[in-house]
Amino acid sequence: MIDALAQLTVNGIALGAAYALAALGFVLVINAVGAVNFAHGDFVMAGGFLAVAISGYLPADLELPGLVVLPLTMLVAAGLGLLLSLIAYFPLRGRPPVSVFISTIAVAIILQHGTNAIFGPAPRAAPPVFGDGQVDLGIASVSMQQVAVIVVAAVLIGAVALVLSRTRFGRRLRAAAQDPEMAEAIGIDVPLMIAVTFALAISLAGATGALLANQFFVSPDDGGNYMLKAYIAVVIGGWGRIHGAVLGALLIGMFEVVVAAAASYVVAEALLYGALLAVLVLRPQGLFGEAEGRRA
Amino acid sequence: MRKIIVATAQIAFLAGALSSGSALAESVDIPILVPITGFISLEGTAQRNGAVQALETPPAGVSVSYEVSDTSTSPEVAVNALRRAISKGKPVAAAASIFGTQMLAMLPIAKRAGLPLITVSGTAKLTELGNPYIFRFFPGDAVVKVAHARYAVEELGAKRPAIIYQTTSYGQSGRAELARILTKLGAPPVFEEALSVKVKDMLPAITRARAAKADMLLLHLHSGSTALVVRQARGAGWDVPIVAGSAMHQPTTAALLRPAELKGVCAESASSPISESTADVKAFTAEFRKRFKTEPDAFALGQYDGIRMVLAALKDGAKDAEGVRAWLSSHTHKGLAMTYKSDGKGNMAHDALILCYDGSGNAPRIVKRYDNVDGVLE
Amino acid sequence: MRLALAILGSALLAAWGVGFAGPYEQQVLTIAGINALAVLGYQLVFGRLGALSLAQGIFFAVGAYATGLLATRWGLSFPVTFLVSILAPMLVALVVSIPVLRLGSHYFALATLGIAQLGTLVAVNWEDVTGGANGIYGVPEIAAFGQTVPVGSAMLVLVWGLVVFGVILFGLLTQGARGARLATLERSPLAAGAIGIDAGRTRLTLFLIGAGFAGAAGALQAHAVGVVSPAVARFDVMVAILAMAVIGGRGSALGAVLGAVLLTHLPEWFRAFESYYLIAYGVAVLATVILLPSGLAGLIRRTPARPPTRPPNWVATGPLAKSQTGFARPAGLARRPPATLTVAGAGKRFGGLIALEGVDLHISPGRIIGLIGPNGSGKTTLLNLISGLERADTGRVRLDAVDISGLPANHIARLGVARCFQHPDLPGELTAFEAVLAATPGDASAVDRAADSAADRAIGCLRELGIDMLASRRVSDLAAAEQRRLEIARALATQPRVLLLDEPAAGLGENERVDLARQLRQLAEGGLGILVVEHTMDFLLPLADRVVCLVAGRRVAEGEAAEVVRDPAAISAYFGEAPA
Repeated sequence: MIDALAQLTVNGIALGAAYALAALGFVLVINAVGAVNFAHGDFVMAGGFLAVAISGYLPADLELPGLVVLPLTMLVAAGLGLLLSLIAYFPLRGRPPVSVFISTIAVAIILQHGTNAIFGPAPRAAPPVFGDGQVDLGIASVSMQQVAVIVVAAVLIGAVALVLSRTRFGRRLRAAAQDPEMAEAIGIDVPLMIAVTFALAISLAGATGALLANQFFVSPDDGGNYMLKAYIAVVIGGWGRIHGAVLGALLIGMFEVVVAAAASYVVAEALLYGALLAVLVLRPQGLFGEAEGRRA
Repeated sequence: MRKIIVATAQIAFLAGALSSGSALAESVDIPILVPITGFISLEGTAQRNGAVQALETPPAGVSVSYEVSDTSTSPEVAVNALRRAISKGKPVAAAASIFGTQMLAMLPIAKRAGLPLITVSGTAKLTELGNPYIFRFFPGDAVVKVAHARYAVEELGAKRPAIIYQTTSYGQSGRAELARILTKLGAPPVFEEALSVKVKDMLPAITRARAAKADMLLLHLHSGSTALVVRQARGAGWDVPIVAGSAMHQPTTAALLRPAELKGVCAESASSPISESTADVKAFTAEFRKRFKTEPDAFALGQYDGIRMVLAALKDGAKDAEGVRAWLSSHTHKGLAMTYKSDGKGNMAHDALILCYDGSGNAPRIVKRYDNVDGVLE
Repeated sequence: MRLALAILGSALLAAWGVGFAGPYEQQVLTIAGINALAVLGYQLVFGRLGALSLAQGIFFAVGAYATGLLATRWGLSFPVTFLVSILAPMLVALVVSIPVLRLGSHYFALATLGIAQLGTLVAVNWEDVTGGANGIYGVPEIAAFGQTVPVGSAMLVLVWGLVVFGVILFGLLTQGARGARLATLERSPLAAGAIGIDAGRTRLTLFLIGAGFAGAAGALQAHAVGVVSPAVARFDVMVAILAMAVIGGRGSALGAVLGAVLLTHLPEWFRAFESYYLIAYGVAVLATVILLPSGLAGLIRRTPARPPTRPPNWVATGPLAKSQTGFARPAGLARRPPATLTVAGAGKRFGGLIALEGVDLHISPGRIIGLIGPNGSGKTTLLNLISGLERADTGRVRLDAVDISGLPANHIARLGVARCFQHPDLPGELTAFEAVLAATPGDASAVDRAADSAADRAIGCLRELGIDMLASRRVSDLAAAEQRRLEIARALATQPRVLLLDEPAAGLGENERVDLARQLRQLAEGGLGILVVEHTMDFLLPLADRVVCLVAGRRVAEGEAAEVVRDPAAISAYFGEAPA
C-alpha cells in the first residue's frame, strides 16, 4: 500500500512537472500582454509533433536522440512563438484582451488541423531524453523518461526564474510587463520584450510537448486539455504569479493521479473542477496570493 | 439609404454564396461521409482510405465518382454532410461514419432519402432500429465482444477479469456487451473503470485493477489510451494477459510500443490485413501502403469490402439507391476479410478473430477465428 | 437601424431559404438561425455586460438535453419541452450565478469554463439518463396543436421567426436608456452605481435571459438534428458561439445574425478542401478579427439613441428663468423635494491608517457647503462613505430621517444622493445625450408622473448646464470642461435631493469657472443642497455658504468661508505659513 502510494506520488509529480512547464509559458504571456493565449495547449501538442518530425531527420544510430531533439524543438518552437506574436498579438495591440483570446483560438484551430493534415491523425511517440528503462528506487520504480521530465522541468523553470530575477534582461522583461509606458519612457523596447516573451513561452510549450510526447504520446487534438490544465494552474496559483502557477500545476498533477487511484478518473476530474470553483469563490486571489497590481 | 443598399448587397452576397456549389453531375455517386478531424479521425481516416481505394478501382463497366466530406465530431456536422451529399449528383450509397452517434443522426435522413449507408461502426443500436438502409461491414459489438470475452475466459482462463474502457460511444457500447457476456460465461468483471481520451497517466487504473486482484486486463479503448495502458502495466511489472479491443490491432497502436511490451497482448478484430497471408489481402495491403503511406487496419478493409460489395451490385445491374439496397440485403459477397451476408437487420459481418503479439515484432499473429458468433450468447 | 437590418436580413434569408434553397441549404440555414439565437443571448452577457462567460455552450446543451429527454422518454409535446428547455438553463444559470457572477473577468471566464466542463462530464458519464457518449436519438420533429413542423422550409421559417422575435427582445433590452445604462455599467462601473444602476440585478437578469436564449437554441437544435449527444456540450460549441459574437460584432444583434450565418456556412463552403477545410476556417476567423475590429456589423455604423427632435415646450420659456424665484422648479423638469444630509461621527481606517475620524457634516437644502483640506486629508473618502462606495467603520449618514449608512451605492443614489467624480467617469462611446439618459430613473414610481419622457428630461438636464447643443456628440470627443459639466448634468438626471461634487473646477478656464459657479448657485437656489470638494479657492470661497476644513481625517474648522480662511488651525494645516 505504501509502495503503491509512493509510486502514485512519483507519477503525480512527473505529470505535475510537465503541467508546470506548460503553465509557466502560459503565465509568462499573461504577464507580458495581459491576455490569455488560448493556443498555448496546441503549441504543446505541436512541440510533440515537432519532436517526432525532428527525430525523423536524425541518424538512426544516434545515441540518446532525445538530448538533441529537445533543444532543437525548443528552438523551432521559439520561432513559432515569434510568429504567433506577429500574426495574433501585434496586429491587435491596444484592443481589448478578448480580441487576443479569439485570435489565439483561431491559431489553435489552425495548429490542430494543420497538424492533422501534415502528420495524420495517429498518435505518435517522440524519442526519450535519457533513454528507455526504469530506475528502481526501492519503494517506487521510476521510468527514465519520468526522471527526464522532472529534471528538465526543474532546470527550465529554475533557469527562467533566475533569468527573470537576476539578469538585466530579466528586469527589463519584467518592467515591460508591469508598466509598459514607464518601461518605454526609460528606453526599453517594449515590443521587442513582448516578442521575446512569446518566443520564450512557446519554446517552453515546445519543450513540454517534446517531453510528454514520449511518455504519453501525442495526437493532433491533445491541445485543449493542456491549455485547460495550464489555465487552472494559473488561477489556483494566483493570477500572474510564476511560482504560484508552477505550484498550482504540480498540485493538479498530484491531485489527478492520487484521486483517480483512490476513487476514479471521473471523480478526479469532477473534483478538480469542483476544487477550482471553490478556490475561485473562496480565495479568488488564488491559493498562493495574486501578483500585486496584476489583477485582470 | 446608402446603408440599406450596402446591407442589401451584403445579404445578396451571402445568399449567392449559399447557393453556390450545387451543380449537378450525371454519373453515379458514392459520397464518403466520415470523421477525418477530431478525436475519432484515426478510425475515420482508415474508413476514408479503404473507401477511396475501392472507388478508385471500380469493376469494368461501372463508373462512379466520389467526394469526401468530414463529419468531424458532432451529429450536426454529419447531418449537414449527408444532406449535402443527397442534394448533389446521384448518390446510390454512402460510406458513412464509424462514429455511432453520427450514424444515429444520419439514419432517419438516409431512410427518408432512400440512401443505403455503408459503415464499419460497431455500435449495437444501429441495426436494432429496424432501418433497412444501414449495412454494417464490421462485426458489431455483439459479435466481437463474444470473441473478446470467450477468448479471455475459455482460452486464457480468466476468472477475475478487469475492464478498462473509454468514455466514448465506442467504449461505452463495447463495455456493456463485454460485461454482459463475461457474466454469462461465469467470469463477471471484478473491476471496471472509465477513461476519458484526455487521461494520460494510467497508473491509477492499473493500481486499482491490481488491488481488485484481477487476473486479466480487458481493454476497450481507442488507440492512444490502449498503448498507454499496455506500456504502463508492463512498466509497473504487471504481467497479466491483456486482451484489448480492436484499437490494439491497428498498426499505428502497435507502432507506439516496443515488441517486449507487446508480449502477452492480444486483441479482437474483424481482420488484420497486415497479418493475412492470402494473395488478395497481400495485394490490397501493398496497394494501400503505396497509396496512403500508412498501414491498413480492419476498419479500412471493412470499408473497402463494403464499397466493393456496392460496386458489385452496380456491376450486377443495380441502377439506383433502391437497387443497391435490395441487392445488398439479398446477396452474399465474398470480401477480403470475410464473407458478408445480411442477417436481415443490416449486419453483414458475423466473424471475428483474435490476434496476439508474441514479443518478437509489431505484427500480430491470428490465433483464433470465431465464425458466425453473433447472438450465440443472447 | 442595425436592429431593423437584422430583422429585415433575417426575414430575407428565411424567404430565400424557403423559395430557392434545397434541403441541404435549408438545413445549414436552419442551423445558422439556431446559432444566431444562442449568439443573441451571448451578446447580452459578453457583448453588453462585457463578461467573458464560457458557459453559454453548456446552457445550449442543457436546453438540447431537456428537449431530447422530455420528447423521447415521456413523449411530451413541443410547447412543454420548449418551455422547459428555456427555463432549465435559466435555473442552472441562477444557481451558478450566486458564486460566480461577482468574479472579475478571467476568473469569471474560468469559473464558467469549469461549470461547462462539469456539465460535459455529466452528459458523458451519467449513461442511464443522458445515454452516455451516444446520447439520445430519435428526437421527433416539432409538433404542436396538431401541426408538425418538418425539418426543411417549415422548420426554417419557425427558427428564423424566433430569430426575429429574439432580435426584437434584444432590442427592447438594449435600446435607448437601457442600452445607455448597460454601456455605463460596462465602461464605468463606479459611475453606474452612483447614478443608481443596480449592477448585481442587471447582470443577473441578462445572464439569465442569455441562458434562456441558449436553451431555446439547444431545443431547436435537438429537433433539427434528431440526436442529442455530448457533442452539444463540447467546448467547440462555446468557441463557435464566442467567435460568431466577435466576428459578427460584439454586443450587436445584427452582429449575432451575421456572425452566425457566416461562421455556420464557412466550413460548408470550404468542404472541397477535405481535411484542410478547418485550417481555412481558422485563417478566415483570424483575418476577420484582425481586419474588422468591430466585426461585420461594424461596417454599418451604430445609430445612437436620438435626442427629441422637437424641443419640449418648457425650453421655449427657459427653465433657468423660472428657477430664480427660490424653490420654484423649472416647468417640465421633475424634481424631488430637497433633503438634508447629515453625517455624524464618520470614521474610516485603511489598515493602520486613519482616513477619517469623528467627522460631522450637515448639508441643508439650498446651501452650498465647501469641503477643503490638503491632499490625503480624507475629502474623497468622505464622499465615498456618503455615496456608499466605501463603508464607514463608525458613524451614521442620514438623508432627512432615513439612515443610509452602509447601503449599496446604487440604493443611496436612488434615494437621492448624487455625486460626481474627481475624474469624470463617462462611457466614451455614448453620446452626451445617451450618457445623461442612462441616469434617468427607470421606474415611473420614482419620478413625477406628470413629467415629460426620459428623453425630454435628459435634454433638460443638459440644458440646465448649458450643454444641450452637445447632445449628439460622442463623450470621447468632448473637452475636459464639457465632460465635467456633462457629469453634473448626468447627476441631475437622477433627480438628486443632495449633490456631491469632487473638484468640479479642476482643469477649467477662468470663464468656465464663472459659468459653473453661476450654474451651481442656480441649482442651490432651486433648493438643492450641494457639497463641493475643491482646491481652487477663488472658485470655492465666493460660492460656498459654509466651508468645512479636513486635516488628516479630522474636521479642524467649520464656518462661513471668510471665517475659515482666518481660522488658525486651517491656516497652519492647510494654507501653510502664507494664507491664501
